Amino acid sequence: MFAILVDVTKCTGCEKCVEACVQAHDQDLRKAAVDRVTTKDGLSANRFCTVLQAEPGRFARKSCMHCLEPSCVAACLVGSLTKTPEGAVVYDPAKCIGCRYCMLACPFHIPRYQWESITPFVMKCDLCIDRLREGKVPACVEACPHGALSFGERQAILDLAHLQVTQTDCNYLPRIWGEEEYGGTSVLYLSDVDLGCMGWPADKSIPIPEITDPLITRTPHIGLGVLAGLFGLKWIIDRRTLLMDGRQEAPDPEEDATGEVERDE
Amino acid sequence: MNSRIRWIKDLLWLIFLFGMMAAFFRLWFGLGATTNLSDAFPWGLWKVLNMVGGVALSTSGFAVGFLVYVLKLERYRPLMKPAILIAFLGYGSSCLALLFDIGLPHRFWHPLFMWNETSFLFEVFWCVVLYFTVTLIEISPTFLNRLGMVNSARFLHRIAGGVVILGISLSCLHHSSLGSLFLVTPQRLHPLWYSPLLPIFFIMSAVGAGLMVVVLAKVICARWYDPESVYGTLPAESSASICSLDGLTGSRAPQNSRAKDIPMLVGIASIACWVLGCYLLIKLADLLVSGDWKVLLLGRWESYLYGIELVISVVIPVILVANRRTRCSPTWLGIAAFSAALGLALNRVDVGIFGYFADAGAIYLPSLLEWALSLGVIAGAILVFMFCVEHLPFFERAFERQENVLGSAENAFSNVLRVPDLVLRGGLYRLTLITVFAIPLAWLALYPPYTQSHELHSFVKPSLGLDDLRNTLKIDGNRSGVFTGFPHSEHQNRLGGASSCKTCHHISLPGDKSTPCSRCHRDLTRDTLIFDHFLHMRTVAVREELSGWYPENHSCDVCHNPAEPKTSASAKSCLECHRDDMTIGNEAEVSLDLKYAPGFECAMHKTCSVCHASEAKRLNRPALSECSTCHPTLKPRSDSRRATWAKSALLSQDNPG
Repeated sequence: MFAILVDVTKCTGCEKCVEACVQAHDQDLRKAAVDRVTTKDGLSANRFCTVLQAEPGRFARKSCMHCLEPSCVAACLVGSLTKTPEGAVVYDPAKCIGCRYCMLACPFHIPRYQWESITPFVMKCDLCIDRLREGKVPACVEACPHGALSFGERQAILDLAHLQVTQTDCNYLPRIWGEEEYGGTSVLYLSDVDLGCMGWPADKSIPIPEITDPLITRTPHIGLGVLAGLFGLKWIIDRRTLLMDGRQEAPDPEEDATGEVERDE
Repeated sequence: MNSRIRWIKDLLWLIFLFGMMAAFFRLWFGLGATTNLSDAFPWGLWKVLNMVGGVALSTSGFAVGFLVYVLKLERYRPLMKPAILIAFLGYGSSCLALLFDIGLPHRFWHPLFMWNETSFLFEVFWCVVLYFTVTLIEISPTFLNRLGMVNSARFLHRIAGGVVILGISLSCLHHSSLGSLFLVTPQRLHPLWYSPLLPIFFIMSAVGAGLMVVVLAKVICARWYDPESVYGTLPAESSASICSLDGLTGSRAPQNSRAKDIPMLVGIASIACWVLGCYLLIKLADLLVSGDWKVLLLGRWESYLYGIELVISVVIPVILVANRRTRCSPTWLGIAAFSAALGLALNRVDVGIFGYFADAGAIYLPSLLEWALSLGVIAGAILVFMFCVEHLPFFERAFERQENVLGSAENAFSNVLRVPDLVLRGGLYRLTLITVFAIPLAWLALYPPYTQSHELHSFVKPSLGLDDLRNTLKIDGNRSGVFTGFPHSEHQNRLGGASSCKTCHHISLPGDKSTPCSRCHRDLTRDTLIFDHFLHMRTVAVREELSGWYPENHSCDVCHNPAEPKTSASAKSCLECHRDDMTIGNEAEVSLDLKYAPGFECAMHKTCSVCHASEAKRLNRPALSECSTCHPTLKPRSDSRRATWAKSALLSQDNPG
């Protein structure tokens, strides 16, 4: 399980990481440059990675956070998105049907859609999974000229971050963004300013699959329970009508039928 | 067939044809070009209104089935068939709209084989597929009987009880799961609509509104085909509703006993209103407990929308049904039912679209084409519904009357081949006319692609980066597709401080957003020069194999002295690169001080025109020394032919013609 640590105090916003990302994914630099100014936060189907300005002089790279309990993976109905052992949340275009539920489900607004295409797919950062498997680090980490990005085992990275927060005098806020938010992410942030602009919640929030999982895992049981209950109810009512059949005819059609009839029956 | 129904059908055909045209455009041009969907609003009208809303309005099949098959309330049995028909058509039209909404419609079958059990959408998909099959089984006896396959119909009828119960449990699952779909967005959906109880809200409101839709369908069909069954007076009387009101309010038992369906409808509407009332109470209790009522009191537009939604979906129907005077009037009952259905649709749109406006910081308005497809699919479903009501015994009396009117529908289904004939009878010319009228109109009205809201080349946005403290903008000043750093405050200071804004911002050309760079930096772009600065930027970038976003932007230092301002004075001499191009001027290099160009114009004239003059004399080609040889636009108006000649003479030196 790998992770990237972004040190906001070191980032200068040169977007070398974006350039490297675009080149590593064989995309068009020009389209990516145009999308930088035409989209709200600089992310698009041509640009998986962008740099946001948190405050004047403070920049932070934004891309897929690769959550430990990803909402998009839980939401995708065909299992097109998966979390790999390397920590990356990767997308399999062969399965996708284009329902765009992952885009709705992502708490960080990360997945982007190829709107201009006739056969569109979802586009997002894949933590350079191919490079990882070759034993290289992600392209953005390699490209950063200021050492704002570090890459390694998530636990080692967390230890490093804690060490930096406590032992350096860089006025870091005592919080590592991504340590616990939404159940933890594989992209962590160290900062001396607030990072609310990047979609981070104000406090530690629970992972979204934790909201949905209790319901969805019980769904088959609920369904079978309803089925059994209905058959039981039908049996009871059938039997009662059978017993009453000799005495009473069908209810008077003129009777004002309200909700009470359900209870009377 | 009376003329009012015919006009309604024509209108529905028109809407349906518009929808089909929209569907064609959507498939041909793709989602992005035809809809207003964006990364901020991945789910739009088709999914929220047609799928989530349409499915919710089709609960009638399972709700009435529960009353009739499980609770054995036989008095509602006449509504069973229309309720199932509504469910079948509702689900069918929703799935059709969804097919156009998904990005890759040809892969709609993927969830059948590729499973992800943790997804609510997966569960909804399976339940909808299974329940659609259930409604198909439930509805087919009516068709099979008509086609004469009595044995199969009898078999299906025998298993109906079990199938209905299976359908009820499937419905319970997917109606609540449609609400659970939005549970994944706790941080994005507006707190007024987000609640952990969303699945319960969804199924309760769907049951209430679904029952109301049956009432609505019954009232409307009765108005069209069988007024006596609900109005109870002779159809000849124009003020039918008032008469029936007078007739019905006197006592519990209507004096005119021919309005026989009213008690049944009131019963259904009452059950629906009990459910809706409970829904309202739970919803308000949830608002109180979760503390979101504070948000309601903020008085933003969401608060008003929330209130309007609750009034339309619950308060109006409940009041109309609770009041004895209004509930006995079919017209008011119809209004109550319509209000409930409209309120449900509004609720689904609120949860699926309006609730996300605040978080996205943007607004989604469906494009015309989205509306056309959305309404067209609904119109198609209504047309099929009307066809079924007219030609199959869904509402018994209406069917009989219609059969008498049509006269010969008796054996309509004994021969399947006659079905198209039946559809078109009497309406062929009308339909042709509508089609001929609708298709060009729809083409004109809906033709994509719609222009996107952002204008690409008039976009100025503060850049990020090292230069931020210097207030650097990244602009495409010349609209040439090349973005470059523009130190705004430096320009401002150089041009005279705070009062200098008008230098650039108030001399705009019509249609331009701001003054292009070339307005002041004329050396780069002056069209009287043979020297093309942009061409040099590009070729130098390629020659030197420069890299980056815009390789051109790194090419300055190849020619200009990096330590000095980028003017013609700090540039290299042309000969340093173009030595080979100037074969005849090689000896002039010694006499002219070309190492440091004294000035751009001067350099040009010294390097070129001296030789041009001498060569013109030597070769006896006076055109070579013409100004217009190198300045093609210098004298085009006075002597364009001569300039052209001079140029061609230059190009073909061997053959001076």
